[in-house]
Amino acid sequence: MIRVIIGGLLMLAGLCVLGIATVGIFRFSTMLNRIHVAAKCDTMGALLVLSGLMVMSGLTVFSLKLALVIVFMWLCNPAASHLVARAEVRTNPELGKICDFIDLTEGEKTSDNS
Amino acid sequence: MNEELRRIWQQFYDWVVGNGPRPENEVVPEEPPPDLPFAQKPKDKYSRFHEATLKERYNQWLEIHGLHLFSVLYSGLSVLTCLVIVSLLLATVAELPPFGDERNPAHNEVIRRYVEHGGHETGAQNIVAGLILDYRAFDTFGESAVLFTAAVSVLMLLGASRRNSLKDDPSPHSDGEGWDFLNRGPPALRHHVFRQDDAILRGVATLSIPVIIMMGCVVVINGHLSPGGGFSGGAILSTALILAANAYGFERVHSFFNERTFIVSSSTALMIYALSKGYSFFTGANHIHSIIPKGTVGDILSGGLILPLNICVGLIVAGTLYGFYALFSEGDM
Repeated sequence: MIRVIIGGLLMLAGLCVLGIATVGIFRFSTMLNRIHVAAKCDTMGALLVLSGLMVMSGLTVFSLKLALVIVFMWLCNPAASHLVARAEVRTNPELGKICDFIDLTEGEKTSDNS
Repeated sequence: MNEELRRIWQQFYDWVVGNGPRPENEVVPEEPPPDLPFAQKPKDKYSRFHEATLKERYNQWLEIHGLHLFSVLYSGLSVLTCLVIVSLLLATVAELPPFGDERNPAHNEVIRRYVEHGGHETGAQNIVAGLILDYRAFDTFGESAVLFTAAVSVLMLLGASRRNSLKDDPSPHSDGEGWDFLNRGPPALRHHVFRQDDAILRGVATLSIPVIIMMGCVVVINGHLSPGGGFSGGAILSTALILAANAYGFERVHSFFNERTFIVSSSTALMIYALSKGYSFFTGANHIHSIIPKGTVGDILSGGLILPLNICVGLIVAGTLYGFYALFSEGDM
């Protein structure tokens, strides 16, 4: 019984994170803000929901599989978000109008020259 | 004399262009009222004696309102089309017999045969694998051949344009004619504009590529025991290849999986498939005893030909999917 309550609370928290992230995806205007929110949705929300399921099912093979799913998502989702953001920075020439960003490659070039 | 000529020429030029002094009795056309939709002010060049014909007015009106009209018509028609199609499909669904009813036409002796005798006839625990790789193996053979043919034709099409460009600029790697079918030209022709080393992607790829390859092999090899099989396992293997190409660059993948590897492995797999399955169908149709053992159901070495056929299909699918990615992003494999 206590397991069901704890798991339910965890899943509810996860659903809250997912809901906030969904609102944020539609609410934010620029692409980088949106990718920031979408990455949260897939890391924190999925972590909470899946850990809730793990607590509910107890120490079984099923929860081990869920833990592996969490590891996979925490490994791959930040990398995917990073790649999308990098593509945006590379291909959007008007990004400097919206935000300040430090061109790391330029610093490398100058340091190479000096 | 020269200045005189220049003055005359200037007058003539002004007369042609329309900047010259106007005659006093010139009839200036009235400006059309500006609020009419098609009464845009005509260009200055033609302003003196220009009157818009009906066609020009129509064109102007179309220029102003055409896009709006088109968008309204388009959205209206698309909504109408969607409604018609959705209602037709829903009406069809409502006419279908209830799901799982035993008098449905799908429940006939074929499906009973598969479910009841599939295990000991094919030796596969996974009925679907037994179905697609034993009962209906020719169908799967055709699918693999279609995939292979598509990849090869894309290869030839993109290679033809490369050959033409090589013909214009002959390089030491091509033999004058440009027919370097299996041995591609210099790697300097490949352009990497946006690709740079990315430490994050490399780290993630180093961690995850072995796991992905292991998963793909498990799915392929256990195709006759659990859900999966050649197609899905091959797709997983090809994602590993694509990830490696993105993280480490195409040259690294090219060093162990290039066009020659793809063609050799895929045609060998297709050949093995065709020969072994042809043998199996020949013996089965003529009631000759087949030398291929079935094995006990549930073992990893069971199911007769299903395991090698799964491996063949997996090889073809992995090569084809990676080949499409490499060809369309690089123009080369």
